[in-house]
Amino acid sequence: MKMYWSDKACFVIRSKVKVNFDAPDLVLSQENDMAVAQPTAGAVPVQGPSRWAKIWKSLSIVFESRIATVGLGLVLFWVLLGLISLVWTPYPPNASDFVQNLPPNSTNWLGTDHLGRDVLSRLMVGTQVILLKTRLPWGGLIFPIGVAIWGVIGSVLVGSFLGLNAGYRGGWWDQVTMQFLDALIAFPVIVLYLVVIAALGQGDLVVILAITVTGAPGVARLVRSLALDIKTRDYIRAAETRGESPWYIMFVEILPNARGPLLVDSMLRVGYAIFAIGTLGFLGIGLPPPDPDWGNMVNEARKNIFSNQWAVIWPSLAIASLVIGLNLFADGLREELTRYQK
Amino acid sequence: MARFIIRSLISTAITLLIVSIALFLLLEVGSGDITLKILGVFSTPEQRASYRNQLGLDAPVYLRYVDWLIGNEWRAERNVGYDLVTVPNPQTGEDEWWADVNGQLTRWSLEDGELFALTRQEDGSTIASPADVTWAVGENGQESFWGVDDKNNAVKWVRGEGAEVWVLTKAGLRKEGDGPQDYIPLRKGLIKGDAGKSLQYGRPVSLTLWPRVRNTLILAGAAFLVVMPIALVLGIIAGINEGRPIDRFISVTSLGATATPEFVTGIFLIMIFGIWLKWLPAVAIFTSPDAIFENPLLLALPVLTLTAVELGYVIRMTRASMVEVMGSPYIRTAILKGMPYWRVVVRHAVRNALMAPITIIMLHVNWLIGGVVVVETIFGYPGLGKYIFDAAIFGDVNAVEAAAMLTVTIAVLTRILGDLAYTFLNPRIRYA
Repeated sequence: MKMYWSDKACFVIRSKVKVNFDAPDLVLSQENDMAVAQPTAGAVPVQGPSRWAKIWKSLSIVFESRIATVGLGLVLFWVLLGLISLVWTPYPPNASDFVQNLPPNSTNWLGTDHLGRDVLSRLMVGTQVILLKTRLPWGGLIFPIGVAIWGVIGSVLVGSFLGLNAGYRGGWWDQVTMQFLDALIAFPVIVLYLVVIAALGQGDLVVILAITVTGAPGVARLVRSLALDIKTRDYIRAAETRGESPWYIMFVEILPNARGPLLVDSMLRVGYAIFAIGTLGFLGIGLPPPDPDWGNMVNEARKNIFSNQWAVIWPSLAIASLVIGLNLFADGLREELTRYQK
Repeated sequence: MARFIIRSLISTAITLLIVSIALFLLLEVGSGDITLKILGVFSTPEQRASYRNQLGLDAPVYLRYVDWLIGNEWRAERNVGYDLVTVPNPQTGEDEWWADVNGQLTRWSLEDGELFALTRQEDGSTIASPADVTWAVGENGQESFWGVDDKNNAVKWVRGEGAEVWVLTKAGLRKEGDGPQDYIPLRKGLIKGDAGKSLQYGRPVSLTLWPRVRNTLILAGAAFLVVMPIALVLGIIAGINEGRPIDRFISVTSLGATATPEFVTGIFLIMIFGIWLKWLPAVAIFTSPDAIFENPLLLALPVLTLTAVELGYVIRMTRASMVEVMGSPYIRTAILKGMPYWRVVVRHAVRNALMAPITIIMLHVNWLIGGVVVVETIFGYPGLGKYIFDAAIFGDVNAVEAAAMLTVTIAVLTRILGDLAYTFLNPRIRYA
C-alpha cells in the first residue's frame, strides 16, 4: 500500500503536462467518500490489465470530451512545430535574408517582418523558449523544458508546500500562511510582474520566478482546501495512528490524493503562464533576445501595422491558439472528471 | 456583522502592511543602485556617492522604510530643534518644507562659509539675512548645525567646512562648494499622501499620479458600463439553454475571448476598426489633458478591447451560476406547479443567479487592473496602467511603489465590498 502511493507521488511530479488518471475513481470526490477512501480498489495490480492498457485507459478520458480533444490537438500542434524547429526551420530565424514586410508568398509562407526575417521560422523557434528550453545566464547553458512549464512547476511545488502545511497542520501555520498569501493575491498579477522585473531585470529565470510567485498563492489555496477535506478521511487517521510523521502524511498520503484537481489547475496555469509571457514580451520586458519571442514579435511588428498587418497577425494567432488550446483541454478534462464524480 | 467588518478591516490592514514591506524591500533593495539609473552610466563613483547621500539612501533599510511609510519630519525635528511645516509654493503648488522658528518660516543656506537665514514672506518670497544660530559643538570640536535647505532636505552644515556636493540640475550634474555634510530628505510619508519625488519627472509622485488615476477611472468605468448588461444577459441566455447550440456558441466564444491575451484582442480591433474600416482612431493621442472629454471617440477602441476581454469572464460566471440555480429543486417545483416558464426564470432564477457574478466581479478588479496596463500601453492612453509600466521600465521606485500600493489598496477594498455585498444579497449567509 505504502509503496503504491509513493510510486504515485513520483508519478505526479514526473508528468506535468500529460494527464494520467489510471482509474476514474481516483479523482477526489466530495460526494462519494468511498472513492477517495478506497482509491486502490480497482487499480491494485494483482492481475489487472497491462501497463500500456492502463495508460491508454487513463488517456482515453481526454478523447471522451470533444473540447479536450480539440484543445490537446492545438497544444500538440505547437509542441510538434517546436520539436521540428529544433532540427529544421525553413530559414535561419534571425537572418535578414529577404525584402522587408512581404505578405505571404511561395518562398516565405507567412511573409517577412520589418527586418526581412522569415516569419514562419521565427514563429516555429518561438515555441522553444516557452515550451521546450530555458536559457540559463551562465555561459549560454540551455536547460530542457520551457519557461512557462518551469514556472508552473515552481508554483505547484511552492504552492503545494504552503497549502499542505496550512491545511493539514491548521492553527498557527494556517493563519500565517493565509495572511501572507492574501497579501500576494492582493497584487494585480501584471503589477507584480512589473515590480519583479523592475527590481531584478530581465531574463528567463526572472520570468520563471515571476510566474512562480504569482501562481503559488492560487495553488496553495487549492491544495489547502483539498487538504482540509482529505485530512478528515480514515486513512489519514490510520497513518497518524501508525505514527507517521506529518511530512509523510502531507506528501505521501494527502498530496497524491489531491492530484486530480491539482493537475487540471496546473494545466490552466500553463495557459496563464504563456498568456503572461506573451504579455510581458509584448510590453518589451519578457524573455530576452536573441531567440524570437511571440509577444515581442507582435510588439515589434505593430510599429509597422499600417504597412504590414501579416507580421502582427501570425504571432497573435499563435499565442491565442496555444492559450485557447490549453484552456479547452483543461476545461474539457475538468468536465469529464466532474462527470465521474456525479 | 460589525465583528465581521472589524475583523476583515484588521486583516486588510495587516495585508497592506505586508504588501508595503514586500514592495519596499523588493524595489529599494532589489533594484540595486538607483543613482546609477538617474545619473547614467558615465557618472563617477564620487558623484553617485554624493547623490546617494542627498537622497538619504545611506540610512539603514528599516529607517528608510519608516521614512517612506510614515514620514520623517519627526526624526528631523529632533535634529533641527524647530517644528517643520509644509507650505505650498505659490507658483508650482508643490509642498515646501520650512522650519517654524518662533512663528517665522525659515530656511538656511551656506554661502562662502557664512550661514544665511531665509525667512518666508507672505507672498512666498524670501529675505536673506545673516543667520543668528547656535552651533552645536561635537566631540571633536566640530561646530555643526541642523537646518532646512532650499531643496526640502533637513541638512547638517559644519562651520567652516562646506562639503563639495554634486547637485543634479536640469543641465546635468554641477559641483558646488558650501554643501552640507548630511541629508535627511523630508517627506510626510505614504499614509499622509506623500509618496516622495518621482525620479523620472522630478516632481512629487502624488501630483503626477492623480490625473492618470482619473483617466483610468473613466476608461474602466466606461468598460464596466458596457460589459455588465451585455454579459449578464448573454450569461443568463446561455445558462437557461444549457447544452443547446446557443449555449455552446456563447460558451466557446466567451472562453475564446477570455483566453486571448488583451494585446492580441487590441491589435485585432485596431486592425479592423482603425486600419481597414477607418472608423475609429487607432491610438489615443492626448493633445490636452482633457482630450477625452473633447473627443470621446478616443475612448472607443480602448473600451472595446477591455470589454472584449472582460465580457468572456463575466459571461462564464453568470452562466455557471444560472445553470446551478436552474437545476435546483425550487425551480423544479415552480415549473411543476405550472408557473409560466419565463416567470420562473425572471422572478425565481435570475435573482439568485446574479448574486454570485455580482460579487465575483468585485473580486475581479485585480484582473481589470492588469488588463488596463496592457490596453493603456497599446493605445498610448495616459492612465494609471501606463504610469506603472513607464515607471517600472525607468526604474522609478517611488512611483512604482506608490502606484502599486494604490492598486493593491483598490483591490483589497473592493474585495471587502464584494464580501459585504454578498452578505447583504444573500440572507442565508451570516458572518459570526
